[in-house]
Amino acid sequence: MDAQKVDMFIMTNGKYFESYEVAELRDQLLYADESKWAVIQTLQFKDPTTSLIVSLVAGSFGVDRFIIGDTGLGIGKLLTCGGLGVWAIIDWFKIMGATREKNMMQLQEALSYK
Amino acid sequence: MNLNPHRLYGILSVACGAGYGWLYYSTISHHGASNLHSFEVCLFKAATGLPCPSCGSTRAVLALMAGNAHEALLLNPFGFVIAIVMLLAPVWICYDLLSKETTLFDFYCCLETWVRKPTIAFPLVLLVIINWIWNISKGL
Repeated sequence: MDAQKVDMFIMTNGKYFESYEVAELRDQLLYADESKWAVIQTLQFKDPTTSLIVSLVAGSFGVDRFIIGDTGLGIGKLLTCGGLGVWAIIDWFKIMGATREKNMMQLQEALSYK
Repeated sequence: MNLNPHRLYGILSVACGAGYGWLYYSTISHHGASNLHSFEVCLFKAATGLPCPSCGSTRAVLALMAGNAHEALLLNPFGFVIAIVMLLAPVWICYDLLSKETTLFDFYCCLETWVRKPTIAFPLVLLVIINWIWNISKGL
């Protein structure tokens, strides 16, 4: 893929991924086929800051897990009142990383799609 | 979260362990110091004074343990779901670990996909909201 396009993508979407993954992601995109560009452009990533706000407000209902797509864990959190409050507090610190992980999975799926 | 069978079984084991520990603590505090206020862990209730959708489920599970299914249903129907998961999960995890299969993980993935369907998700969300309103009106 064209380096200029890749750098533009990284500049716009870098915040949606873990910082240590960005360099590797850039290399991966540079080696990817040009036809992937259209697919990658249409992806909508979840904002880690939004997840954190939702986690702070409605974390004990599992809403934060629902919005990043971890439906099963969300139900678990909802039924156990945020894991007796402990899981809800742990997720205040973990949810941003989990969101970035989900975004990376989404991008990898799009890149591997033929 | 990039969920794999080991991670899921770890989370479920910790959750079940904590659940049994919490039930044991609740039983002890319920018998030992009935005149004292029970220790509240619900962040939402502590912050707003209103019960959350799953408030009362510990009491519901305790009622189920005592054989009062009707009382458990009136307290919080979530208690039934929790009791089934707490009974089933350890047995299923042990079965999978011994047979080196991933039947529970496969079931979890199927369930997750099924629950995400709008036709299933919408009624479930509605039920949770109705249960929450009921909890607030009961003043749990």
